[in-house]
Amino acid sequence: MPTRARRSPLQKPERPYLALGLEGSANKLGAGIIRHEIDGSSIVLSNVRHTYITPPGEGFLPRDTAVHHRQWALEVIQDAITNSGVSMHDLDCICYTKGPGMGAPLQSVALVARTLSLLFGKPLVGVNHCVGHIEMGREVTGAQNPIVLYVSGGNTQVIAYSRQCYRIFGETLDIAVGNCLDRFARVINLSNDPSPGYNIEQEAKKGKRLVPLPYTTKGMDVSLSGILTATETLTYDKRFRANDPVPQDGADDDYFTPADLCFSLQETVFAMLVEITERAMAHIGSKEVLIVGGVGCNLRLQEMMGIMAEERGGKVFATDDRFCIDNGIMIAQAGLLSYRMGFQTPIAKSTCTQRFRTDEVHVAWRA
Amino acid sequence: MADSIPTTALLHSSTLITQGAEAKVYRTSLHPGGAPVLLKHRFSKRYRHSTLDASLTRARVVGEARALLRCLRCGVSVPGLRFVDAANGVLGIEWVNGRSVRFLLGSGDEGEEADGNEDGVVADEELLAEYGVSKEALMKMVGTEIAKMHLADIVHGDLTTSNMMLRHPSSISDLPQGMQQLLLIDFGLAYTSSLTEDKAVDLYVLERAFASTHPDSSPLFGRVLEGYKEKMGKEWTAIGRRLEEGKLVACPHGQVDS
Repeated sequence: MPTRARRSPLQKPERPYLALGLEGSANKLGAGIIRHEIDGSSIVLSNVRHTYITPPGEGFLPRDTAVHHRQWALEVIQDAITNSGVSMHDLDCICYTKGPGMGAPLQSVALVARTLSLLFGKPLVGVNHCVGHIEMGREVTGAQNPIVLYVSGGNTQVIAYSRQCYRIFGETLDIAVGNCLDRFARVINLSNDPSPGYNIEQEAKKGKRLVPLPYTTKGMDVSLSGILTATETLTYDKRFRANDPVPQDGADDDYFTPADLCFSLQETVFAMLVEITERAMAHIGSKEVLIVGGVGCNLRLQEMMGIMAEERGGKVFATDDRFCIDNGIMIAQAGLLSYRMGFQTPIAKSTCTQRFRTDEVHVAWRA
Repeated sequence: MADSIPTTALLHSSTLITQGAEAKVYRTSLHPGGAPVLLKHRFSKRYRHSTLDASLTRARVVGEARALLRCLRCGVSVPGLRFVDAANGVLGIEWVNGRSVRFLLGSGDEGEEADGNEDGVVADEELLAEYGVSKEALMKMVGTEIAKMHLADIVHGDLTTSNMMLRHPSSISDLPQGMQQLLLIDFGLAYTSSLTEDKAVDLYVLERAFASTHPDSSPLFGRVLEGYKEKMGKEWTAIGRRLEEGKLVACPHGQVDS
């Protein structure tokens, strides 16, 4: 329901504010520096990321990912500082991901954040990863009060803002959509470089046959693990061909290829996601959709969402891989917003947590 | 398609009432001067692959009709079934004169704009008086009706306060004076299942809908559960336990300091 414009509790800054954001909740290590100007605008000064890429057929394990983050942390942060042209001493605060995410990688990055905070005497701000995605998406696209579809390797949620809280309207009941796609990429041995989801998307473009898969929406929630199992099982089906056979006259054409399975998987799970988003839009009466999270850079998902929004007389907002995929700048953005509202995380409380729901955060900076 | 012409003609002669996320709702009558019928047309979604779209539409119309019939047979109050054309995605059901529970609880109707319709939001106390029920009694009726449905092994799949209606007292003739009839509507995502898990998920979906649509009225869901518990009898134990377990998985340690 469109609420009347209320005064934002966030005052325009009396001077420019600077924040460093550190992100490492999954296999991406990111550092970014953002500046909030006195006119209320934000400038991305630097946004550096290094991804831990595993061989095809393998996922990233928490311990190895943590080792990767520890190895790259100093280099990535140094690059972020150099690219931005500011000094560590100019910063107002250091923001880090408190959760949700994998424990070991989160801890490694939190440790770096704590060390920097003590070294340079800068306050720490613990940030919810999901809120980071939402705030960066709003900042980049300029969407005012959208329904947010947050889709990544670890999260699948339909979110709407209400009364200083990002409320979750629908979500996955089991695995995240990115996890579903990534794990299928592993089954058919696709490369993890630059990301398994990207390679699924490219493969799906070659697919033509829509193989029937389960379609499981439950109200505004979805269930994805059964679809993954079903798609996986199809690779043992006798109609499955690892390569597209040369077409011959009279030859059996009742078959499907890995590309067809990628295509079918994408069409099915994205249709489910668009459906629950549309239901949430109808429920709230909103006309704007914002897609954030790693899966959000999938162009087919953006296209489907665009058609849906257009049919409802609305608009879709999406960002590219710089801001969709996990990054440090989004942590800096969300962290600086709460810092400007007077929020800080004392060192003694600068823990991280694997489970930290989007609706647990008090969104003090919005009306 | 020659067989689609009567349905298309029927839709053309009907009045469009509202457009939801999946369907357009029309009011019509199947013969001149007959009782009003509600037509629910599941229009095609261009964002979906056409094959997927066609099979989903067909499956949902058929599924909804079957669920309604099963409910009717088992004494769950739902609108009567009047007309089915699965290939064209049209379902005709009894026209119910009444209001959605969401409206009666004062959150306005689904898709209704907040501005320009103040009276609907403010007048919920008066409305409840007009229907002769208290909020508490209404919630208990909701619980009882859901229990009846679950006892018949039907899972609704999309329980929200928008998907329940209270019949207007003036249109109840065969019920004793002072009785209200609460109907469950929109069985588009319903399916048959005897699993505790599915029934618990159904309740969980409703609880979340309550929390998001009526944030100030969280004790109301407790009333719903009371009515549900009473009607379910011994089956409640397992479902109640599963519901609690589900909540633990979704939100293991409640509020984290922020």
